[in-house]
Amino acid sequence: MDKSKPAGEINQSPRTVANKSDKLNLLRAIRMTLEIQSPAIRRNTQTFNRNRYRATSALPDYDALKDQARQIKENAIAHLSENLQKLETVVRARGGEIFLAPTAKEACDYILAVCQRHDAKLVVKGKSITSEEVRLNHTLQGAGIEVAESDLAEFILQVADEQPSHIIAPALHYGRERITALFKSKFKTELPLDTGEELTKFAREKLREKFLRADVGVTGANLIAADTGTLMLVESEGNIRMSSLLPPVHVAIAGVEKIIPTRRAMAPFLELLSASATGQKMTSYTSFLSPPLDDPPFALPGKPRKQREFHLVLVDNGRMKMRDDPVLHETLYCIRCSACLNSCANFQTVGGHAFGGETYSGGIGGAWEAGTGKLENARFSELCTGCSRCVNQCPVRIDIPWLNENLRSRLNEKSELSTIGGFLGLMSAAAAKDRSAPATKIFFGDYHYFAKWGARFPSLSNAIAGTRIVRWAMERFLGLDRRRSLPSFPRHTLVATARKIPAKGEKPPAAKAVLFADVFTNYGLPERGLAALRVLRALNVDVAVSESIPEGRAALSQGMIATAKKCAERTVSRLQRYLDDGRDIVIVEPSSLAMFRRDCRHLLDDAGQFERFRMRTFDTVEYVARLLQQSGRHAKDFFDVVRSPVGAKLFFHAHCQQKTVGCVEPTTTLLRVIGFDIVTSSVECCGMAGSFGYKKDFYELSMAVGADLFQQVAEAEKGGGPLALLASGTSCTEQLHAGTHRIVMHPIELLAAILIPSK
Amino acid sequence: MSELSDTFEANAREAAAIVERCAHAAGAVRQAVERITANTSRIVIGGPEYVESEIGNHLFELPGVIRRPADEQLATADAGITGAFAGVASSGSVCVALGMELSATASLLMPLHIVLLCAARIVARPRDLFDPACLGGEGLRRNLVFITGPSATADMGPLVRGVHGPHRLHILLLE
Repeated sequence: MDKSKPAGEINQSPRTVANKSDKLNLLRAIRMTLEIQSPAIRRNTQTFNRNRYRATSALPDYDALKDQARQIKENAIAHLSENLQKLETVVRARGGEIFLAPTAKEACDYILAVCQRHDAKLVVKGKSITSEEVRLNHTLQGAGIEVAESDLAEFILQVADEQPSHIIAPALHYGRERITALFKSKFKTELPLDTGEELTKFAREKLREKFLRADVGVTGANLIAADTGTLMLVESEGNIRMSSLLPPVHVAIAGVEKIIPTRRAMAPFLELLSASATGQKMTSYTSFLSPPLDDPPFALPGKPRKQREFHLVLVDNGRMKMRDDPVLHETLYCIRCSACLNSCANFQTVGGHAFGGETYSGGIGGAWEAGTGKLENARFSELCTGCSRCVNQCPVRIDIPWLNENLRSRLNEKSELSTIGGFLGLMSAAAAKDRSAPATKIFFGDYHYFAKWGARFPSLSNAIAGTRIVRWAMERFLGLDRRRSLPSFPRHTLVATARKIPAKGEKPPAAKAVLFADVFTNYGLPERGLAALRVLRALNVDVAVSESIPEGRAALSQGMIATAKKCAERTVSRLQRYLDDGRDIVIVEPSSLAMFRRDCRHLLDDAGQFERFRMRTFDTVEYVARLLQQSGRHAKDFFDVVRSPVGAKLFFHAHCQQKTVGCVEPTTTLLRVIGFDIVTSSVECCGMAGSFGYKKDFYELSMAVGADLFQQVAEAEKGGGPLALLASGTSCTEQLHAGTHRIVMHPIELLAAILIPSK
Repeated sequence: MSELSDTFEANAREAAAIVERCAHAAGAVRQAVERITANTSRIVIGGPEYVESEIGNHLFELPGVIRRPADEQLATADAGITGAFAGVASSGSVCVALGMELSATASLLMPLHIVLLCAARIVARPRDLFDPACLGGEGLRRNLVFITGPSATADMGPLVRGVHGPHRLHILLLE
């Protein structure tokens, strides 16, 4: 029996595992979602994801809109107090009421009092996730008021008694068949509910009657303009329009961060929100209302026609504290579009009931849960692997992985210092602040240290690491899954081998570079670095090899930020002399490259220094393509496809961070120019994501994510026979190998193999 | 001008609206509406202020139109007719001003929504309506809704058109 798994609770209900401050709940939730929800989640999130890529690429000014939106939100949060005051004045002047609720409870109590003043029997709700955050239904129902959720997804959740699993499609984890089963059992109906149309008709008829009878309508708000009191309300079903129009009393509940200075400033959000959320040009209804409305409220015969009343309930519930937090601050720019959920490979596989808390889910969800609840509630953000695919998708440019790395760091600091973790941390010289991190995190975060020792006596290390007892111990104490094959230590590291290769130097060089001996290439796959050396030298580049220094990626991904900062600072100070010597920095491992291109902006105090390194750091193949272009030489002068040992047909899976920093295209273009036929994967991430897939806790999830990639390989090979597999990341290589049991090369290795010998 | 109309028509169709071009004349509009509502008996008109009043007068003469409907008649009507004060080419949206006589209910409660849009009031993109110089700044002053196709949901599994709001959106593009 496998004691490492929580025993027999596949039948967990989503509510029982919603709070993941206990890690066991996270593991239970992963199992539950993989068993039950995964197919529907995959289908729905991947549809959103494809549609978003299509919609945003059709916006001619997508990047400018993002810049504008970001700037408006930055300004709005900076001037939140003034905007609040302005809004208060204008809402009151229009005859509405406004209430700033310091806590969730006060928000609920206020709304309950409004309902009770009107002797309300029935409240109808449009979709409002903020009302889920404050548990409004709980309060109202506790006081004997009927609450009718009218968004069909929220309706499903109300029937099933579950929390949302997605911020814009809260019941996205339900496929049609499961909804049919749910309705049939809960409503005891014999109606045929076997199509989307039949289910929709069933719910619509139930809810139409509620809309007409409701005493109070509750909606959220996507944005609120401080100058006019205008609410922007985005929806597809028409239920939010009904909730705000038909009942005499309209309560809008929203977080204080939704306020922006003016109605005019809503303009850039119109298309940006629709495109980022559902991937539509515009959703069915986008309303701009400055309540109370002029239309008389609806009154069926026998009901008195009341005066309209409007209440705007603005929820603080931790947001003002987030505003003062140097990191969580950025969360308040979020417009809740769900792009970060849909572009996340882990989210696509398990959804928000595993990758989420009691209200919020996905990449941005951890920051929301920590900010509006407590830090421990953000433990599920462990499922953010830092793959960074969400970064370019966020319409307000929030660096979501950075938020999650910080949450992880804070959780590390709060955890108990363990004997093994503390010992490892001390040995590997982790920053003092990071030593209370769990042993697994310290092992992966300081991997360079253990790799260095392992590489001193490679045969011995490989023999030891290969024994069952050691694998058992590594699983038991370091959380390293036994089913994963470990990278074996090479007989000679990249740095050691490179030292023995004489640099040629007859002609003046075309360029000067230094190959950064990143930890993964140096101690894991030095042949990739050697291939890079061969190719660059064939292109007449004067190339040196740096010492192997951890640049901080590994530590950062474990939330060991202080260690990562130390690593990054040391690395740039050691590499500075190469820049001074006129050398560009060339890197094989994309996750290391992304540190210089992206992450170091947070870790280096000197912004100018970050810029200098960012501008002069290149992916190996990107650099080759650049040299060819600069020299005006054709790729075929150097590379001959006929020499390929693996044929001319390729399947290429690019590393997630390589995609984010925008250097996949040079590889595919160069290989095509040389004459290769390439299929590229379209998955966001392979599922291994550095250390993530090696961890015992996440092995099943990692392989489930990988299944999409393996499937794409199989699809691409249908009919045409096998393709040669290429992957650019060390861990992607291992994952692709684990899923296909085939050899996987780095593009630079293929290029080295097809070099035309110089005459 | 006609380029905007063409783009509008293509995008509105993509959003599952029905688009029909029609001469901007009372007789032609009446004829079109009569044909569209041939199988519907209860029709509500929500202030078509954005077309000439003569068109409005003609429409009120149609059989099946309920003048001054009571709320329970609104709840059971089959079709609503409203004007749109603007159309958006890039998304195929129509903008209906709310707070005018019944325009909010007539564009929401009935299974069929017929909307009259003057081709001259089509703007290029949604955000144009937030420019004070555009259509007299009406987009910044009014309560309004951008309507893009019929109401829809994907919550029940496959995409379903026709949820709480209209199931059919029929746009008469007046030229």
